Amino acid sequence: MMDQHEDPKFEQWLKESAKSYHAPLPTPREEMWTRIAAERQRRARRVIELRPWMAWAVAAAAVLILGIGIGRWTASSTARGPSVAVATRDSAQATNSSPDIVYQVAATQYLSRTEAFLTSFRADLSTNHAANSARFASQARDLLMTTQLMLDSPAGKDQRMRSLLEDLELVLVQISQLDPAHDGHDADLITQGMNQSNVLPKLRSAIPAGPVPVRTEGAL
Amino acid sequence: MDESQLIARVRSGDSAAERALYDAHVDRVYRLAFRLAGDDALAQDFTQEAFIRAFDRLGSFRGESAFSTWLHAITTTVVLNGLRKVKRFRQREADIDDAHELGAISRHAEPDLKVRLKQAIDALPEGYRTVFLMHDVEGYTHEEIGAALGVETGTSKAQLSRARAKLRVALADFAGEWTT
Repeated sequence: MMDQHEDPKFEQWLKESAKSYHAPLPTPREEMWTRIAAERQRRARRVIELRPWMAWAVAAAAVLILGIGIGRWTASSTARGPSVAVATRDSAQATNSSPDIVYQVAATQYLSRTEAFLTSFRADLSTNHAANSARFASQARDLLMTTQLMLDSPAGKDQRMRSLLEDLELVLVQISQLDPAHDGHDADLITQGMNQSNVLPKLRSAIPAGPVPVRTEGAL
Repeated sequence: MDESQLIARVRSGDSAAERALYDAHVDRVYRLAFRLAGDDALAQDFTQEAFIRAFDRLGSFRGESAFSTWLHAITTTVVLNGLRKVKRFRQREADIDDAHELGAISRHAEPDLKVRLKQAIDALPEGYRTVFLMHDVEGYTHEEIGAALGVETGTSKAQLSRARAKLRVALADFAGEWTT
């Protein structure tokens, strides 16, 4: 039985006429995809940045340990020479140059850890993905936080260092999001990206030769 | 590769699979957003937000319904919530305008069919309008509409019937066009 409102002729006419209502334009696929990718990356970054207690905790620990390091360093400089005048001059020089040296030492420490981590990540790809990916993701998150602190520090003002830090940030974000259930394909993609952007060679060339200074070990 | 395999690859972080999934669905999502919003910039914003949410929440997609159903549920939520915000904003702006001017526009209705049809569809309650556009204009089934809007199939059918009835009354001046 036909409903009292049903009128096939009207419905057909309505369907045809309504096609002109808000008639869509051709889909701007590429523009939207570019914006989707950029927005997702921005949000992923914001999630990490939105944990201020973590950044504050790391920054506070870094300042504390660096302060102890500087204090010990200054004390040893003062005690080193027999002449008070020489010792005072040494201390003054150390105080004037200490921020730069501290950042260099901290940067070297961080770059060495990151290089070890990425080398290990790439090497362990071929064995037991599931067991390793959770550990790698956790370590990557720690290093990512330090990378972002480095980007905001005087070390990030150097153009070459900044470019390297940004490359590292991208790689670390990808590793930090690794799913333990992944089949290795996403890890392969990360490694391909690392190879294409020469991250490891750039990283190694940025690390000064010689052992990592021990004065700031664990600071960053 | 079927869609479940594609989704599994997206979950594992495969960016090429993300793009393939986007390509497979973006046209329909954008068309629906455009039909409901009537504005290219808004339609693009809604489409982008729908895909961002879908990718972020893909872990919670259990595959009990088709991916397109799940994606369209996200899309309609994003679009309808977005349009409510836009409407509230526009309403605040309209309140500032001269009320006499608005009255004059409604009294001197445009005789052109396109304009009258637009006015009639715009005047439908949100639920009726959404169901009407999805079913009669974009060709969704009542099952798809019910799943997307979180309502029973019968509700979707009832809302469509009421929407058509209201449009029939509003467009009575043009009755000659469908009776001949």
